[in-house]
Amino acid sequence: MEKSSEKLSVKVTDHVFVPHHEILPPKEVEKFLKKYNVRIDQLPYILSTDPVMKEKGAKPGDLIKITRKSKTAGEVTYYRYVIEG
Amino acid sequence: MTLEESIKTVGSIKFSVFSPSEIRRYSVVEITAPETYDEDGMPVQSGLMDSRLGTLEPGQKCATCGNTTARCPGHFGHIELAESVLHIAFVDVIHKLLLSTCRACGRLLIPGDDLESFQDRIANKNDFAPGSEEEIAKEIMVKAKKTKICPHCGKQQYEIEFTKPTIFHEITEEGGAIRLLPVAIRERLERIPNDDLVLIGYDPKSSRPEWFVLQVLPIPPVSVRPSITLESGIRSEDDLTHKLVDILRVNQRVRESKESGTPPLIVQDLVDLLQYHVTTFFDNEVSGIPQAHHRSGRPLKTISQRLKGKEGRFRGSLSGKRVDFSSRTVISPDPSLDISEVGVPLEVAKKLTVAEKVSPQNADFLKNLIARGPFQHPGANYIIRPDGVKIRLDYVSDRVSLADTLAPGFTVERHIMDGDIVIFNRQPSLHRMSIMAHHVKVLPYKTFRLHPAVCPPYNADFDGDEMNLHVPQSEEARAEALTLMRVQQQILSPRYGGPIIGAIRDFITAAYLLTKPETILKKEEFACLALAGGYTGPLPKPEIEKPVELFNGRQLFSLFLPNDFNYVMTSKWAKSLRKGGVARDIVIKNGTLMGGVIDRAAIGAEEADSVLHRIAKDYGVDAARTFLNSVLTVLKNFITRHGFSYRYDELILDEEARGTIAKEIDKTYEKVRDLIGQFEKGTLSTVRGLSPEENLEYYVVNELARARDRAGRIADKALPLDNSGVVMARTGARGSSLNLGQMTATLGQQSVRGKRIEKGYRGRALSHFAPLDRTPDSKGFVQSNYRDGLNPAEFFFHAMGGREGLVDTAVRTQQSGYMQRRLINALEHLKVEYDLTVRDPHGNIIQFLYGEDGVDPAKSDHGKAVNVERLVETEALTNKSKEFLEEDDLKKILDKYEKELNPQLIYDLRDSLLKTPLNAQGVKNVYKKVLELLDKATIEPGEASGIVAAQSIGEPGTQMTLRTFHFAGVRERDVTLGLPRLIELVDARKQPSTPSMDIHLDEEHRSDKEMALKVAKEIIFTRVADLVDHSDIDYAGEIKLFLSKEALQERGCNPELIAKMVQTGKRKARVDEEGIVHIAVEGADFSTLPTLRDKIMSMRVNGIPGINYVTLVKKSGKKGDEWVIQTVGSNLAKVLKIPGVDTSHTTTNSIYEVETTLGIEATRTALIEEMVNTLEEQGLEVDIRHLLLVADLMTSKGFFQQIGRHGIAGKKTSILARAAFEITVPTLVEASVKGEVEELKGVTENVIVGLPIPVGTGMVDLFMGGVEND
Repeated sequence: MEKSSEKLSVKVTDHVFVPHHEILPPKEVEKFLKKYNVRIDQLPYILSTDPVMKEKGAKPGDLIKITRKSKTAGEVTYYRYVIEG
Repeated sequence: MTLEESIKTVGSIKFSVFSPSEIRRYSVVEITAPETYDEDGMPVQSGLMDSRLGTLEPGQKCATCGNTTARCPGHFGHIELAESVLHIAFVDVIHKLLLSTCRACGRLLIPGDDLESFQDRIANKNDFAPGSEEEIAKEIMVKAKKTKICPHCGKQQYEIEFTKPTIFHEITEEGGAIRLLPVAIRERLERIPNDDLVLIGYDPKSSRPEWFVLQVLPIPPVSVRPSITLESGIRSEDDLTHKLVDILRVNQRVRESKESGTPPLIVQDLVDLLQYHVTTFFDNEVSGIPQAHHRSGRPLKTISQRLKGKEGRFRGSLSGKRVDFSSRTVISPDPSLDISEVGVPLEVAKKLTVAEKVSPQNADFLKNLIARGPFQHPGANYIIRPDGVKIRLDYVSDRVSLADTLAPGFTVERHIMDGDIVIFNRQPSLHRMSIMAHHVKVLPYKTFRLHPAVCPPYNADFDGDEMNLHVPQSEEARAEALTLMRVQQQILSPRYGGPIIGAIRDFITAAYLLTKPETILKKEEFACLALAGGYTGPLPKPEIEKPVELFNGRQLFSLFLPNDFNYVMTSKWAKSLRKGGVARDIVIKNGTLMGGVIDRAAIGAEEADSVLHRIAKDYGVDAARTFLNSVLTVLKNFITRHGFSYRYDELILDEEARGTIAKEIDKTYEKVRDLIGQFEKGTLSTVRGLSPEENLEYYVVNELARARDRAGRIADKALPLDNSGVVMARTGARGSSLNLGQMTATLGQQSVRGKRIEKGYRGRALSHFAPLDRTPDSKGFVQSNYRDGLNPAEFFFHAMGGREGLVDTAVRTQQSGYMQRRLINALEHLKVEYDLTVRDPHGNIIQFLYGEDGVDPAKSDHGKAVNVERLVETEALTNKSKEFLEEDDLKKILDKYEKELNPQLIYDLRDSLLKTPLNAQGVKNVYKKVLELLDKATIEPGEASGIVAAQSIGEPGTQMTLRTFHFAGVRERDVTLGLPRLIELVDARKQPSTPSMDIHLDEEHRSDKEMALKVAKEIIFTRVADLVDHSDIDYAGEIKLFLSKEALQERGCNPELIAKMVQTGKRKARVDEEGIVHIAVEGADFSTLPTLRDKIMSMRVNGIPGINYVTLVKKSGKKGDEWVIQTVGSNLAKVLKIPGVDTSHTTTNSIYEVETTLGIEATRTALIEEMVNTLEEQGLEVDIRHLLLVADLMTSKGFFQQIGRHGIAGKKTSILARAAFEITVPTLVEASVKGEVEELKGVTENVIVGLPIPVGTGMVDLFMGGVEND
């Protein structure tokens, strides 16, 4: 009934709950995997259908660097691997 | 069992299904006779107890392997079934296969091209499409089920009808339903090609589907179903044997009737009976068929029942076992013990032993013990000779000469003695401090003795509690117990990074009495007490030297403080004296207590940032243990001499206070009467959203609660400070001022289910009151206090409230227990790796740095990595330099540190250094110290961080209230809190039980109430019915809606809007001059109009579905006051689209909504926030690192996963771990159908197979250097 009027989309990345996401450049991915001695599929996942991913236009296979605010360390980085879903 | 037996470890376990030929191959005998034993008691040949199946009696030799019971593992036999039957565990799999494969050619009902593309997808699987095999299998199933014509052979497919549990019918178009017999099913399953099975995830090598139909039944060896001989000489057979006898009998009848040419219908009946028996042999709890019963009427426990559930094989016999070298008895307190000791009764000490290897060094000692024998303590019970023969000393008459034969290589099992290390445990073992290592102290009498200070970690008291004691038997076990499990190592709780062991009860009272300013000690007393505490140095300078030397209590306390100890804090006592009490009264300078009283805040258990905590942090846990031991001994001796009791007359208030209290209560009663009067007249001002009755109750309950508080406060004031009760309450030794008030002033309102008592008779709680009486007395307000005693009605009300408390506790322990089990199961396999990442055993990363800062909460300083403020202050004390760094210079220095320290520490440093400036050298010193402490606080690789987190969240669960509802913020908004909320969060429910939002507004709308109201009106969900006063139906085809002016106003709607919203093609709506909405309906008659009216009434006019109620709340924040809309009901996605809403701060308590609208990272943030708030609201301290880990785990797969069967615990890769958790049998079936392999990488799996668990000290492995290939 009201689908057309819902075009007014909300920018989810502005929300205080959403930390900063960025797509890690492919060059750095290799370095990163080496640092943690880890296969890429052993990382935490994020779905390509995630609202933030849709907004950022990330594709499955991308590696996302997330900069979180932390109550223990002030600021930390976390990484998620974009999967289909 | 000799030592030479080759030792192999289990590498992995593959699950598969036996084929009939395998069953026959492994069988040692075909069972044909339904008899077990003949008249002589000998096993019948080819009977169920055939001696080839293994032996039961110790002397007997197995007819197959020639071993005795101890070494014969038992051997399987088999029964040739006269007719095929279905295996009940595989029925669902069979059903699926019948549905998805062709009835004629057995291929999957998917066109060949599609099959190839599916194969391609599996072959070219991408890293970024994990779990696609399962997806494909599901897709194929769905597609195949729909296909009606086989794309391979073109045959028509029929509907399959499955009647639970074992009957299949095929619905053919011509002939109706035709029964599919197991034989026919088997033939169909045989036709399914291997390649097709692989596609749907089955492993044809491990399990061909035709094997799910049984032709041969394997018979478990007798050792699996031992028969027992009762005292009376009657043999009693195992349940499984009974069942097998049934199967054999029916099998024989089927065979005979088939051979004798009985009509097929009767044969079929017999086959069905055989199917029934075989089914119940595997599972006796199948729905749809009657349970098989024992002669006594008890249902038989067959294979499935043996595996399942708490007492089943997995949980009851494999994950947890009964052990030797343990004992259990009642506990009692003994403050004379060291806190790390446990008093062991002599009798126990003579039974528990430690195996000690004989060496030249201990030979004489052990010889002496042997000579003393098993009946004298210390003695020895056994000698093990180098050839492995064990000699029991009870039966040796000449022990002295036996002792002389002792030589190196012998082992002596000697009694446990003083100083031995043992493991002590009290159930429920909710956290790791529930199992600690103590040193033995052998004592007379029959109870275990422990120091009262270690009661908090065990949660023990002495009202009949029992505890268990275990004696580690290997050097490795003792070493681990000694280095990791000793009491002093557990002083600091990993739950909140503070001490959990410390002074309790009378120790605290004693500390106050000793250190209060008035306490003066004579030299003799002082010396005596100091010596009791182990102080042997010179006496300090007396406080008063003439005429006699007198000391004060603080001096005594100071003796046990480290000499360079400096600390300032506030005592609980000072805090309780609101006026006159000095904040930060406890001042310790260079190990001397200068002022302030020592009470719970300084040395108590479960008190963070106390003197005890500081000593444990700054001087180490061993120092903390000595400190505690000394101080507690002194306090014990002091209070023993001083004496302390609570007299009955101390509970009497003076006349004046009693008068005031009576007056207060009278006044309250007057007010309540007034409220009731207003209510009856209908003039009571209403709180929105409440019915008039609820509204009255709300006011009355508030009024009465205030009366109790006031009475309590009056009592508090009236009681002198030296009143024992006051001393105990204010020092934190025991009780609270509420308890005092209830004893001396008034008990207050009793409640059941959060309401005043109303149960019982119609309109009244007891027959002593008039119906509909709403006065305080008739609804459970107790005016009396415990000292004066309660009148009968009051007593009854009190008992009602008391009963609810008991029920609540019982329910809560169950709920929180289950929550903890799930948490443990989901998190147990997580550990910290050498690079400080948290990973599961497959190397999947959960956290990139444990706790985000790599700090172990147990080694943290009350949650902080390093207590920077204290470091800076200490440095300022020692650093006498007068120069201070300017802010700019400071910034430059700190910037350099950014590489080594995390932003939080830099921030803390800057903060503290601005408060307490230092010079450059000082800052450098502090920096060095920070690095050092940070290194010390860093978590150790191998730490089972998952388990610690699960325990830290689960353990406080028992302390939470079950009270679901609680007023929070807005009066009319109930929010689920406490344990139910926590469970809801870890359950990852889609819909919380009380959804609610906090809608923040944009700049334009937040400061003005009118503007805020406008937004609120857009948000609140309004249906037609909400605006209609009454309606009318004209049966000519018109519905009239008479609107309520107030409602329209309140919800910001107008008649035109309603008309627009209800209008459709067939319905025309118009508004007349009076604002009445007329809806003309075409082709409606008297029968459809009323239903149509109801339909229209429930139509949406305005607002957001799900938001049922809104309130405006004024909140003051950093940016000044702002109006926030709080709602009942939640719909984040839609609310964010409303103009005027601040889209960056609006929140909801529905985590699922956050996930769908804001993504997985926001889900994590919201989850942590909610968990923190829930725990905080309950006043429970849990380190945030534990919550972070749980949240990271729950969101690690990209979507919000539940902790439990349908989430993390259910998706574990380990088959055994899943089987041990909840759905045992189906898990095993699935694993064998798919041919899964248990890799034994996690914790539960290794416990089950009896290998070291791969966390902590079990993680260490030795890798041999291999030869390098060139």
